[in-house]
Amino acid sequence: MKLRLSPQTLLVLDAFLVRAEDWKYGYDLSRGTGLKSGTLYPILMRMAERKLLETQWEQGEPGKPPRHMYRFTQEGLRFARANVAAHAGGVGQVALGLVEG
Amino acid sequence: MGAPRKLAGALLRGMVRLAPQESRDWATAMLRELGFIEGEWAALFWALGSATAILRHATSAWRDWLKGKSTKEADMNNTGKKALGVGLGMLSALALVGCGLAVLRILGILFPGLEHSPWAYWLAVMAIPEAIFVAATVMLWRKKGPVAAGILATGLVMALHVAVHLTLHW
Repeated sequence: MKLRLSPQTLLVLDAFLVRAEDWKYGYDLSRGTGLKSGTLYPILMRMAERKLLETQWEQGEPGKPPRHMYRFTQEGLRFARANVAAHAGGVGQVALGLVEG
Repeated sequence: MGAPRKLAGALLRGMVRLAPQESRDWATAMLRELGFIEGEWAALFWALGSATAILRHATSAWRDWLKGKSTKEADMNNTGKKALGVGLGMLSALALVGCGLAVLRILGILFPGLEHSPWAYWLAVMAIPEAIFVAATVMLWRKKGPVAAGILATGLVMALHVAVHLTLHW
């Protein structure tokens, strides 16, 4: 599984580990990690292409346009736990604080 | 709704329309998030970043192909790939000539009379593009032969056109 583990990618992986079973929105992830859309979305795209993320359109209220949501696949969860743990103490804790704060 | 947010919306809607099929869902996703962003300028910066991400995603297939890393590449017909490369080279060359003409036009507006000056015309439309074609052909020949061939072919056609023009008029 090839995914370049840049500090930004680790931030995103870490953000997804917080309540991993929940679906997450792009803008919330951007705020949580502090990443701009131009940095965040290419990471999300690569993760989805590598089957680390599953994506879904939110079935919202009628007349309201659906939002795209993301969460880990089982493989993504394993990948993130293994890699974020390996890089723990750095970016991981920062992201966790940002997302929950 | 302020101007920055309107511009952001227009930009992302344009990206949704123009994006290739494989990038369209992502472009739509970014557009939908726009409605949840607080702040006019934040919305515009979101759209600018998103547009960059979509462009990168949409061009990644081309980049992969040019680098020879595409997984689909093995399935593609070799002749088709070469033709595509030649076409890409020709398009790039024609785009450069178009840019030369545009620059000449702008200079003509800024400095009236310059547009009709023969040396400015030859410089902008012939000399500089031909020099760039030659340099690009030499640089690309070994790694991206078909693209270089396309550029060279366009350069040769242009040079031939000039030669015919000079022969007939001088």
